[in-house]
Amino acid sequence: MGAQFDISFVFSFLPKLLGTLSTTLLIVAGSLLTGIIVGFLVALPRLYKIPVLKIFSEIYISFFRGTPILIQLFLFYYGLPEIMKLVHVDMTRTPVLVFVILTYGLHTGAYMSEMIRASVMAVDKGQVEAAYATGMTGFQAFTRIVLPQALGIAVPVFSNLVIALLKDTSLAFTLGVMEMSGKAQTLGSLTQHFIETYIALALIYLVISFTIEKLLLVAEHHLLRHEKRNTPEKKSFKINKNWSYRRIIAELGPGKGGTGL
Amino acid sequence: MKLDPSFIWTALVQILSAIPTTLYITVVSVLIGFVIGVAVALIRLYRVPLLYPLAVGYVTFIRGTPMLTHLLLIYFGLPVLIDGLAAHFGWSFRSVSIPMIGFAYISFSITAGAYMSEVVRSGLLAVDRGQLEAAHSIGMTTPQALKRIVFPQALAASLPNLSNSVIGMLHGSTLAFTVSVVDINAKAQIVASTNWKFFEAYLAAALIFWALTFLIERVTSVIEKRINLYNRGGVA
Repeated sequence: MGAQFDISFVFSFLPKLLGTLSTTLLIVAGSLLTGIIVGFLVALPRLYKIPVLKIFSEIYISFFRGTPILIQLFLFYYGLPEIMKLVHVDMTRTPVLVFVILTYGLHTGAYMSEMIRASVMAVDKGQVEAAYATGMTGFQAFTRIVLPQALGIAVPVFSNLVIALLKDTSLAFTLGVMEMSGKAQTLGSLTQHFIETYIALALIYLVISFTIEKLLLVAEHHLLRHEKRNTPEKKSFKINKNWSYRRIIAELGPGKGGTGL
Repeated sequence: MKLDPSFIWTALVQILSAIPTTLYITVVSVLIGFVIGVAVALIRLYRVPLLYPLAVGYVTFIRGTPMLTHLLLIYFGLPVLIDGLAAHFGWSFRSVSIPMIGFAYISFSITAGAYMSEVVRSGLLAVDRGQLEAAHSIGMTTPQALKRIVFPQALAASLPNLSNSVIGMLHGSTLAFTVSVVDINAKAQIVASTNWKFFEAYLAAALIFWALTFLIERVTSVIEKRINLYNRGGVA
């Protein structure tokens, strides 16, 4: 199993791996952006129950949530060029990163749309009616009343999704993208210090996901600042009141069933 | 390369033989993960001294790093550890005798354990403390109360999360190909590269996973209906 374990390698690998951090973050940012746009587009037909489109978006969500991201990566990488060939678009020169971001974008989009749908639905209908009663238009009621509340509800799920996405990017190496885990693999086989590289890799992922979590926690506190008054004790074994809230979170899928590979 | 729709079916049939491997990995990791998860969740809920920081560290580490790194760390790290110990204590057991799938089992169980502990913890937290007190007041011991009153309700509350975790592990099992275990994904790769029909093979694999996920969801919803019977009507 290669050379003797040597902790100093962990430190020497850290800067080398950090050099490819930008690729990882590019994938995360690119797919988040795609995912949010797709998510909105897909959530709307289900929220407003538009006849045919609703079925399409259900199939889309079901497929992307029902198959592993790894399979989706391969499927898009090999399938998209062939499908595009049918409409005479040549994709042989498209950089691999495009396929990767597209796949992750569509994958996250499915989860995003569920997140958007559930958080909008979690806002009490009475609030909208109250908004109408004070003479707001539908658009005003949505942007002023529903959206701010939905955002607060969505943040924990969003945070899970971003972290899951970050961790999923570790699979991009299978298509030959040199992001962090790809780099780690190369470093490992070059130096035969596999354990050290993967410890370094794990540390970097840990720090980034921790940072994302903390940042979004701040955002959540800010967005939910009006709610705090009603939830006095948090630490005790008591939730029954929050039962419905927890259910919503549960049904949203706590980000990708948890694993996020 | 030309699209060959009929090959999807051929690939599907060939990939079917790899389903048991995927299911073994999923089931083993979920079951062991659940046991680890219950232990870790109880440690965290009761704030057991010494073990508490360990449990928190474990959950944070696992949830903060990709499953792939867990697998590779175990794959490269465990043999070193085992062989080191074996040399030290003079065991005849060497890491070479661990089958490849063993690494997948161990690593995925550890991964699942961390996620399961969160599922179990939130499930237990979802049960009103008053229920435990009521059970105590009629003379049940704590283990009795936990077993008869708290756990059934916690299970009902955590079922959706549990189902998500199972699906997550099912999808995560595709990583086993990195340690040369032939699961659905690896089989699809083999079928694809021997026939040079990648798209069709992966489409077949995707369909199988989709079907398996759908099945898990259906089964869960049936169980959910049964387990939530007590919840129907009621005062809440």
